[in-house]
Amino acid sequence: MATTTENTQHLEVPKKRKKKVPTEVSIFLVLIGIALLFEILGWAIRGDSFLMNPRRLLIMILQVSIIGIIAIGVTQVIITGGIDLSSGSVLALTAIVTASFAQQSDYLRAVYPALTDLPWFIPLIVGLLVGALAGLVNGALIAFAVIPPFIATLGMMVSARGMARAYTDGQPVSMLSDQFTWIGSGANPVIIFLAVAVFFHIALKYTRYGKYTYAIGANPQAARVSGINVRRHLVMVYTIAGLLAGLAGVVASARAGTGQAGMGLMYELDAIAAAVIGGTSLAGGVGRIAGTVIGAMILGVMLSGFTFLGVDAYYQDIVKGAIIVAAVVIDQYRQRKRNKTT
Amino acid sequence: MKRLLLGAALFTACTTTAMAQSIGVSVAYFDDNFLTSMRNAMQAEAEAQGWNVQFLDAQGDIGRQLSHTESLAAQGVDAIIINPVDTAATGMMTRVAVERGVPLVYVNREPEGNDLDHDTVAFVGSEQKVAGELQMEALAEMLGGEGRISIMLGELSSSATHQRTEGVEEVAAKYPGIEIIEKQPADYQRTEAIDLMNNWIVGGQQIDAIAANNDEMALGALIAMRQSGIGADEILVGGIDATRDALDSLQRGELSVTVFQDPVGQGGGAVKVAIDLANGEAVESINLVPFQLVTRDNLDDFLTN
Repeated sequence: MATTTENTQHLEVPKKRKKKVPTEVSIFLVLIGIALLFEILGWAIRGDSFLMNPRRLLIMILQVSIIGIIAIGVTQVIITGGIDLSSGSVLALTAIVTASFAQQSDYLRAVYPALTDLPWFIPLIVGLLVGALAGLVNGALIAFAVIPPFIATLGMMVSARGMARAYTDGQPVSMLSDQFTWIGSGANPVIIFLAVAVFFHIALKYTRYGKYTYAIGANPQAARVSGINVRRHLVMVYTIAGLLAGLAGVVASARAGTGQAGMGLMYELDAIAAAVIGGTSLAGGVGRIAGTVIGAMILGVMLSGFTFLGVDAYYQDIVKGAIIVAAVVIDQYRQRKRNKTT
Repeated sequence: MKRLLLGAALFTACTTTAMAQSIGVSVAYFDDNFLTSMRNAMQAEAEAQGWNVQFLDAQGDIGRQLSHTESLAAQGVDAIIINPVDTAATGMMTRVAVERGVPLVYVNREPEGNDLDHDTVAFVGSEQKVAGELQMEALAEMLGGEGRISIMLGELSSSATHQRTEGVEEVAAKYPGIEIIEKQPADYQRTEAIDLMNNWIVGGQQIDAIAANNDEMALGALIAMRQSGIGADEILVGGIDATRDALDSLQRGELSVTVFQDPVGQGGGAVKVAIDLANGEAVESINLVPFQLVTRDNLDDFLTN
């Protein structure tokens, strides 16, 4: 009985998609609304414009680029009906391992004194491999050991943080080479974030990889029956999510010029928030990368807006939480209204 | 024969661990750089004295720390060291240790209640407020007693954040020419501080100095400034903790000032006091380890350490 209701729920999802409700458009309006709210409050409180400042517009995206890169992977995981709680910890593990391969030779306390001043792509590749490996373990546990994604990635969240601490006994890894820190300097994180977003937006929308991802999330049984190798595909999706968490770790360590075990705390929740605000359904089968990018930008606008208005630190998180929920409520309300009229 | 040797080896291994006395330590956060240095100092001191030491991570959770205390007391350690998550909520932990008759040493942060009234409870650490005072005094002097200050706050749930900030604010209030214009959190993290500083820079307000609650945030502020082409002489940046990275930055002429908190004095000191208590000796209930201001002038004393 329970399974039949679940199946009908899943079957409704592709129907909704056929009606072509552009979630991105409605969530983009929410973004504009929040930005305008800060604009009005800015004039009222600070007597200054919030939006008419090109550098601030860049910073709004810059400060969510790292979370955004993670969110692109998390979105794909959520579309398959899963969840990834490990991304913040995987970021920390990658950042610290990557940093240990990117140190300057004139630094006396290098982790690997023989491996300093390496060209920038070596730490980058190391970081991507560490991230992908963590994702591969997640995927294998979920697809082959049939452990619920919540539990498997929770385990990875705790272990990866532990490995990050054990790697250098909790000591930070600093003094990174200039060619490596260049990756995270200026607007480069934004470029990386948007390039990754465009790549996966296309992959999800136009390739067989994308079709399988949506199909598994909408109805895993139907996907299996129609000949999709569900297990292999799930491993691939989680590996990509790990790879992107690894990329985020590389960018984070390059940006801060250090790798530390305490980096990326709670980033997984911000990434999930970005995906959900952007219209990705936790039930699976629904979601777009473009929506996630806008969701991440909403988080960035809030962060800049609070600082701009000088909102008391104690109230920022209360408001942030409320806005996250409100954004989703408004979006769902608009969708329901549109579904009724059509 | 091989098996016999192995058995003998195992037996001696067991007896030595049973013989050596042990200390259980609950640390507020494993991820904190200063607390990690302190943890390493504890390990070194305990090893030097031939004691075993076991570390537990409270992960910023007062409930978890209380269960650490209970399980350490039940497991029969000879002394407990606690780096409290919340200095206002140590009462229960003190009661558990006193009832069980286990000596207890609080390290780094001083309990606010009357925990130290018990003979078997002591404190080793520094007054966090002093760090903020030293930092702000140095910055005020460098600014010539005039300027606009922004404070970067650490985690709002941490008592060090409040005490350090209080120290900064009290000193700033003494100077009529000094004004605190911003106070925002960056959670003790470098990345968060880069973002906060970027937002302050585009805010367009004139800022003369940053008083950061720790070095990591100070270094983040400097990264943001460098990328916006703002020199370290235009906005002075002060940190606290004197971490290795901060000393390097001070040496490069970027960071203006930091405050040395002594991890060996606190960590090693806590282990010594714990061992004394376990041996039934009387100890001072409050053992203060002083903070020291670090500027470019006395930098060399700290770099060699």
